[in-house]
Amino acid sequence: MTTGLWWMMSKDLLCEISGKRSWPSMMLLGIVVAVVFALQAQLPQEQRNQMCGVLLWVTILFAGLLGIDRSCSSEQDDGCWEALLAYPVSPAAVYWSKLLVNVLSLTLLEILLIPAFGTFAGVRILNPIAAIVPLTFAANFGIAALGTLLSALTNRLGLSGQLLAVLVLPLMIPVILAAAEGTRLIALGRIDEEWWRWFQFLIGFALIFVTVGSILFEFVVEE
Amino acid sequence: MKSRMDSRTSRSGVSIAITAGLLLAAGVAIAVAPTEETMGVAQRILYIHVSVAWLGLTGFLVMAGCAVAYLFRRNLGWDHWAQSAGELGWVCCTLTLITGSLWARAAWGTWWTWEPRLLTAFILWALYSGYLLIRGLIGDSHHRARLSAVVAILGALDVPLVVMATRWFRGIHPVAPSMEPSMRIALLLSVAALTSLFAILFACRRTQIRIEHLMPQLENQIDRSLNSTARPSPTTMSHV
Repeated sequence: MTTGLWWMMSKDLLCEISGKRSWPSMMLLGIVVAVVFALQAQLPQEQRNQMCGVLLWVTILFAGLLGIDRSCSSEQDDGCWEALLAYPVSPAAVYWSKLLVNVLSLTLLEILLIPAFGTFAGVRILNPIAAIVPLTFAANFGIAALGTLLSALTNRLGLSGQLLAVLVLPLMIPVILAAAEGTRLIALGRIDEEWWRWFQFLIGFALIFVTVGSILFEFVVEE
Repeated sequence: MKSRMDSRTSRSGVSIAITAGLLLAAGVAIAVAPTEETMGVAQRILYIHVSVAWLGLTGFLVMAGCAVAYLFRRNLGWDHWAQSAGELGWVCCTLTLITGSLWARAAWGTWWTWEPRLLTAFILWALYSGYLLIRGLIGDSHHRARLSAVVAILGALDVPLVVMATRWFRGIHPVAPSMEPSMRIALLLSVAALTSLFAILFACRRTQIRIEHLMPQLENQIDRSLNSTARPSPTTMSHV
């Protein structure tokens, strides 16, 4: 399974690197939205610290959905889904390969976006780095777990885009809120029990949706 | 013939019992339960609000349970139950938001405020709506049943969040307010009466969906048999 997973991930990464299908547009949208939000947030420092979390994570969600949607819509043409499912691995392995590529996409986006957003908005969200890194990592798994499953579902319906947003946004609210609260506490310099609670919530969310996604993916992609 | 009569009689009996239960619950909530000191008459919204909120949550769990059963059994009957629960749950969830908003206006002075319980209830409503939207977009019965089952199961994971929102996150929504015994009785009666109404509507809607599903098949069969009888046989032709 590990070899199969690796091959499928390599296939998606090679397609992305050679075709540049979603990463550049994802990064550009992220930066533009971050600049717009940062320009609008001409507020006293205390209020900026309070608001930065939600603005950052809404930006990440909007930009990230572009990449997540592409991860499955690219398989729609020329019977790619059928070929992918004929590969001798379980549907759960296909799900995991898409999930890990989406986590990688989100991580790359955040490597660019978080420092840029911090600079534009004038908030210290990278300090301490030991708090923001695990928080983003857990949130990425939650977003990618749900996003990958729903992207496959909406693409099987031939209705990516509008329907993905309708289904993803309500389900993503808890993970976005938890990540935003965690980031706000980092900006306020409060890595305390409350921050720990939000972090645990993110881990729980990611674990639940990764497990459920691995089980349900089979039902989504079956003919 | 006799069994059909019996079934009709028992159905009327159930309808009468549910109507009587609803009237009794309304009577106790309006006439017997005392008026709350701070909120006044507006507090009586609670009897409906709690009942429909409970049914909104239960509806989602029932829908997800039927969705799981469909995925394992591949019997469309389970999908019909899930659709019935989804539609009624959506109505209950909408009523929860409306009655909650009326209650909030009286209690907090605002129609809506962003606090955990309200937010999670809104998410639940959005998920119900997404589920019904998905169902409306797919033509093939089994395809529709399979994909909407996935959405129902994902959405059901939000239910514990709604229930525990007031305990896990700080908010202003009451957790389990203390009540006068007569208020508690009125609340329990409302919950029981509305749950019975939900149960009977759930069964009726399921039957209706099943008939809707069987109708095209029946029409096809009638068309086929009409065509076969209308087609002139060779012997008739020879007579002509």
